[in-house]
Amino acid sequence: MNEKEKESFDPKPVLENWMKAATDFWGPVMDMWSAASGKTDTSTKQEGSRAKKNLESALRSWKAMSSAMSEPEAGKSILEGIQTLPEIVLKMTQTGWDSYLKLQQQWYERLSRIGQSTEAYRFDNLDQDAVSVWREIYEKEFRQLLFMPQLGLTRSYQERANKAMDNFNLFQAAIAEFLQLLYLPMEKSTQVMQEKVAEMADEGQLPENPKVYYQMWIKILEGHYMTLLKSPEYTNKMDRTLGAFENFVASKNEILQDFLQTLPVPTDKDMDELYQEIYLLKKRMREHEKNHEMETSRQ
Amino acid sequence: MAEAKIPVDLILSKLAEDAEKTQERAQKAKDVLLSELDTAIATTPYEVLYQEDRVKLKHYYPVLPKSKLMKTPLLVVYALINRETMLDLQPGRSIVQNFLNDGIDLYMIDWGYPTRKDKFLTIDDHVNGYMDNIVDFICRQHSLPKINLMGICMGGSFSVMYSALHPEKIKNLVTTVTPTNFDTDQGLLHIWMKNVDADRMVKTFGNMPGDIMNLGFLLLNPARLMIDKYVGFLENIDNKTFVENFVRMEKWIFDSPDVPGETFRQFITDCYQKNLLIQSKMELGGRRVDLKKITMPLINFYGQYDHLVPPAACELLTSKVGSKDTQDICLQTGHIGIYVSSKFQKEFAPKIAGWLREREHAEPRRRAKKTSSGPKPVKKSVAKTGSVPVS
Repeated sequence: MNEKEKESFDPKPVLENWMKAATDFWGPVMDMWSAASGKTDTSTKQEGSRAKKNLESALRSWKAMSSAMSEPEAGKSILEGIQTLPEIVLKMTQTGWDSYLKLQQQWYERLSRIGQSTEAYRFDNLDQDAVSVWREIYEKEFRQLLFMPQLGLTRSYQERANKAMDNFNLFQAAIAEFLQLLYLPMEKSTQVMQEKVAEMADEGQLPENPKVYYQMWIKILEGHYMTLLKSPEYTNKMDRTLGAFENFVASKNEILQDFLQTLPVPTDKDMDELYQEIYLLKKRMREHEKNHEMETSRQ
Repeated sequence: MAEAKIPVDLILSKLAEDAEKTQERAQKAKDVLLSELDTAIATTPYEVLYQEDRVKLKHYYPVLPKSKLMKTPLLVVYALINRETMLDLQPGRSIVQNFLNDGIDLYMIDWGYPTRKDKFLTIDDHVNGYMDNIVDFICRQHSLPKINLMGICMGGSFSVMYSALHPEKIKNLVTTVTPTNFDTDQGLLHIWMKNVDADRMVKTFGNMPGDIMNLGFLLLNPARLMIDKYVGFLENIDNKTFVENFVRMEKWIFDSPDVPGETFRQFITDCYQKNLLIQSKMELGGRRVDLKKITMPLINFYGQYDHLVPPAACELLTSKVGSKDTQDICLQTGHIGIYVSSKFQKEFAPKIAGWLREREHAEPRRRAKKTSSGPKPVKKSVAKTGSVPVS
């Protein structure tokens, strides 16, 4: 259908004809029903009479409405309404699109803030920074998304799943930082080793046996590790990694609990309660046994 | 120029020589690794005489006639970390066999593998529960009021606690690499444990997983324990005896039962963080562990190069107990070397046996000395001077 055809299409006759046909059909049907129902005993067929009344009322409403709509003025206003429909749809689409664009803009802003979190052309500690920068970005920009309020029946389950996902991400970041720290002595030892070899080369005292180089390297490495492992930085990082791991395990277990509850098996919580009861009962029983033994041995 | 001084040709020829040797070694290694290896550990025969929950009491079959056995049996209490099989790694390198050869009637606690149901067990349950029941059992078996007690590492701490709470049941106390003073920065464990959140760990894991603890122990010296050790293995991979011993050690090291949660929590908080034991402030089952009540003879072994339980964690004990018959022996070795090194095995087990035999019939003697053995004797002053036993 081209634009011309669209413009020339006039829905008025179609609507009038349909209204007329409907009234012509339902009018006689209602009359026939009324005539037939007049012969039945309403007192014995209460249910039938209620249904008939409902239908009569509906048919009467239809007849009144269709008659009113058959009037030229009414038809005109309906047709105007139909013609404004595309405008409504357009407006709704426009609003939706605007919201989408706004959301997209917010995302762009969020992404641009990620750029602000990292310093441009900062390459002096590139590999060391990369891991911590990722954690910072995650904590500042993405983490909140997992803590948006959840709604509905599955709200608490979704919350637990998001919490586990968050703890998993934090654990990944923590372990990456920890491994990076653990790798530092390797890097430093290689550096020291190179310097030592250069010194020995200058002095003309380079060993011929490659094993000697390995022994030197491992000794330097051990020394570097001893220094690192005693440092507060290492202890803090290790505690943080351990904490992140524990948080992840705990939240993973919470999700498992949810699954277990759907199965016909006891959950960890059930078993722990049971074990604790058994433990306390056994302890009490042993105390009584010991007391009894002592008393009988006295007698 | 510096480059001219590098004997590149010599290094390369050495490398080529090594490459040939490596190839030969790899050929032999295939034969060794595919052959039948004897890697069994803890093979000395024993019987289980008592069992309570997961805890078993092993009694080793004596190798000497009854007339040559010491009258007072010895109960060995191992730590809850790793297993007691370390004392019997292989024939010819076994503390257990040495004790038996020296006429000791030997019992040993096997703590077993704690499961989830054991997570509520406290130190009190281990010391005043299992240990006390086992001591009573052995006393009944031998119709004796007292037995000898030897503790290893954490098992030594338990033995100290037990001896303080039940001095009437212990004739002589032997502590080996036993931490009692936790307020030291000598060992990495002592530094790390200060900040560990034991409550959260126990809440998360229930029992403390053995694998996590093992990872922690590996991280105490990653260069040696994660790299050099396996380089050494590769260098000797064509040596069947070396491979067998190496695998035995690996079997023992990575056989790590979990530690019951509540016990772990209490050991970290009361010992590592609050250092209550050495101050006689620790409480078990509502009773204070007063070290002055340790009035029986005490011999205290520790390793000069122990990175897990450093000398500072061990050597205060003898000055804090009530006994006047105490002795410190510092061996020039590490935490495990005391038990598995052939060199130290020759002096360690016979020393204990001799010390126990000396006290088999004698009344507690008033003696206070501190000795050291090994290639580099450590100068130590006399540790104990005139403390009054509390009965």
